[in-house]
Amino acid sequence: MPATVRVENLTFTYAGARRPAIKNTNLEIMEGEYIVITGPTGCGKTTLCRCLNGLIPHFHQGKMTGKVIVNGVDTYKTKVSDLSQTVGFIFQDPENQLVALNVERELAFAPENLGLPREEIRTRVEEAMEMVGIEELRYKAPYELSGGEQQRVAIAAVLTLKPKILVLDEPTSNLDPVSARRIVTLLARINRDHGMTIILVEHRLDLVASYSNKVVVMNNGEIVVEGEPRVALSSDYVEELGVGIPKILKLFKELQIDRSKHAFPLTPEEAVNILT
Amino acid sequence: MITAEEIWFTYPDGPTALRGVSLRIRDRELVAIMGENGAGKTTLVKHFNGLLRPQEGSVTVDGLNTLQVSVAELARKVGYVFQNADHQLFSETVYSEVAFALNNFGYPEKETRRRVQQVLRLLDLEKYRNSSPFSLSGGERKRVALASTLCFDPEIIVLDEPTIGQDGSQKKKLGELIHSFNLEGKTVIVVTHDVEFAAEYAQRIVAMARGRIIADGPSKKVLTNPKILEECALLAPQATQLAQRISERVKGFPTELVSVEEVASAIREFLGG
Amino acid sequence: MSVLQAFNFRRKNTVVHRLDPRTKLYLAITLLIVSFIFSEVVVLSLIFLFLLLVLAAARSLSQWFRTIRGLSFLLIIVVLFNSMFATLGYAITFVVRLLDIMACFSIFFLTVHPDDLAQALIHLHVPFDFAFTLSIATRYVPTLAQEAQTIIDAQMSRGLELQKGNMIKRIRNYIPILIPLIVCSIRRALSVAESLESRAFGSTKRRTYLHALKMAKKDHFVILLATLAVIVSIYYKFLVGLPSWLTWQIPL
Repeated sequence: MPATVRVENLTFTYAGARRPAIKNTNLEIMEGEYIVITGPTGCGKTTLCRCLNGLIPHFHQGKMTGKVIVNGVDTYKTKVSDLSQTVGFIFQDPENQLVALNVERELAFAPENLGLPREEIRTRVEEAMEMVGIEELRYKAPYELSGGEQQRVAIAAVLTLKPKILVLDEPTSNLDPVSARRIVTLLARINRDHGMTIILVEHRLDLVASYSNKVVVMNNGEIVVEGEPRVALSSDYVEELGVGIPKILKLFKELQIDRSKHAFPLTPEEAVNILT
Repeated sequence: MITAEEIWFTYPDGPTALRGVSLRIRDRELVAIMGENGAGKTTLVKHFNGLLRPQEGSVTVDGLNTLQVSVAELARKVGYVFQNADHQLFSETVYSEVAFALNNFGYPEKETRRRVQQVLRLLDLEKYRNSSPFSLSGGERKRVALASTLCFDPEIIVLDEPTIGQDGSQKKKLGELIHSFNLEGKTVIVVTHDVEFAAEYAQRIVAMARGRIIADGPSKKVLTNPKILEECALLAPQATQLAQRISERVKGFPTELVSVEEVASAIREFLGG
Repeated sequence: MSVLQAFNFRRKNTVVHRLDPRTKLYLAITLLIVSFIFSEVVVLSLIFLFLLLVLAAARSLSQWFRTIRGLSFLLIIVVLFNSMFATLGYAITFVVRLLDIMACFSIFFLTVHPDDLAQALIHLHVPFDFAFTLSIATRYVPTLAQEAQTIIDAQMSRGLELQKGNMIKRIRNYIPILIPLIVCSIRRALSVAESLESRAFGSTKRRTYLHALKMAKKDHFVILLATLAVIVSIYYKFLVGLPSWLTWQIPL
């Protein structure tokens, strides 16, 4: 099965910058995977995810070499608006993603942009609302919503494009822990029930590590570690980079439990089962 | 010392943000104020430097009643570091940005230069002294904003959500920094919803929900109490969650633990190898 | 910002709110024309009473009065100023017409949501880009206002005193507020643009709409009445002449 996202030898330097933000990066993501991309500030993860829906190179100027193929399509040769029907993108600040009068109109915004017929728009709006579970917010204005609700609306608004892949750039940054967890479990549900490929850029690994099946750690514009979360995150190297690994992992490392005997846990539940 | 007595505050466009909040913060404490967005945390701390004044009740800072003093006067005692550094930056150079507060407070030229130099060195910003603050990275701009508050050496420092968007090592550096302020004798108040950060660096937690203080006590007591956590929309630190789960299977295992080290030693003690 | 209350949309469920925005645009324009046709204080006052009735029907009287109270000082100055150059009677007439004009605009802005206005413009074949710019600008006004307040708070926390100093110093004091505001606005604009791009904004010239504006019977009715009002006004003012009780002037 071909990879749904293929990054080949990608190097990108922002216009006016002295050094590339990402260099010689290679990555393959299969359909249905749930990937977490993390790394210290400035490592290039924000740049990398913007290469996946064409914002780089079409919106952000700079020099790009290498290739990004998404669902068989070369992002360099394809417009962002065309790519948006394959790759949905959620940004950090929900305030800057809600532009319409109310939630219903917000969800209609993207399909309206595509010029779809009214019945189709209506169907997509209803489906997205149901998928995310926000029917009761239908007529609310953006300022009437909490941060968590706003971000869920932003996700629904992107789902109306019927993408196969969702890329999220630190979507829980501004949210309190309970709202953040709600978003993370929503993503897990969409991934599990609808086969949506999830690519999540995150610092808050304690929340997301247990849902993902692969963690990609970047540093200085390169991918330095890639693998199953338990293994990738428990390496000392990753901790030294400044990545905030889940405290459970830290605890197990402190206990100096033999890694070859037990797979390291990502949640307190797993940890208890190992210890007792 | 900061004393808040039964303060009520309602914003002009509606929401009643504080409903009878009483609090006393003594000198040299390191307090974390926690709760979900909209609980009233930021509203509360804005009363400490006079940005907001209570409609009922009173706030006293170092003996001064905030209803009788200007923000500028209180600002000398209470340094407030805002969440978004970009809301402060406007100067041509990092030097003048940091010197802004000192100029406003009327410090003489020589003193200003000394203080700016000192704080730039402390925060590793010396090489940017003559650069434009806008040319710096996000993390560097945050440090400039912090520097511009530290330079006038306030006795009380308030930080509003300082950990948002920060990676692990940045959080660690920040935690160590506020810990060192506290050791120097400063009172530090951190508004945050980052439980792990609060567990690691704060001695006292004030948990709020819907305009009221739900709990006020040592982190061991507040962050380990499921009822309080639920009411304030907080999650327990992972180490605490583990301790509580272990205690369900192992009789007598302590549950009022918040740090990785504490739980690790408890595990070694109770579970042997 | 209570002075601007008369132009601040509030969501309410009144007959006036439920009218099509194009109807309300037409109504505002026709009433404006009628206010200009007449210079008789009695007629203008009757028009004013009618406009107050419409505002009452829109349950927005108290909002409107809040603005008038805020501007009352200015209005008195206008009366005094005008009476220096003409009679007091003329000055009062002038102010009544001013109130009529303000009420016309208020009725429009109080009952039409910016998005509906954008939609009305689109139906009137104004290019989508322009209409959308209008609605997105209005959507972010409260956000911008909040950001401005945060910036003011942040700078005051560094000892900035906005009320102190002579005129020049006071103007200079706004630099630490304006610069961050502009920079943050530009950053926000770029962020919003990224989001729009990622949602296929501008991908086709043939944009479609989930909601279409539809004129109901009440809209046709109001448009008819409004048109009649203009015709009747012109008829009576220029062709037939007004009865004496309507042309009474204030003897001052």
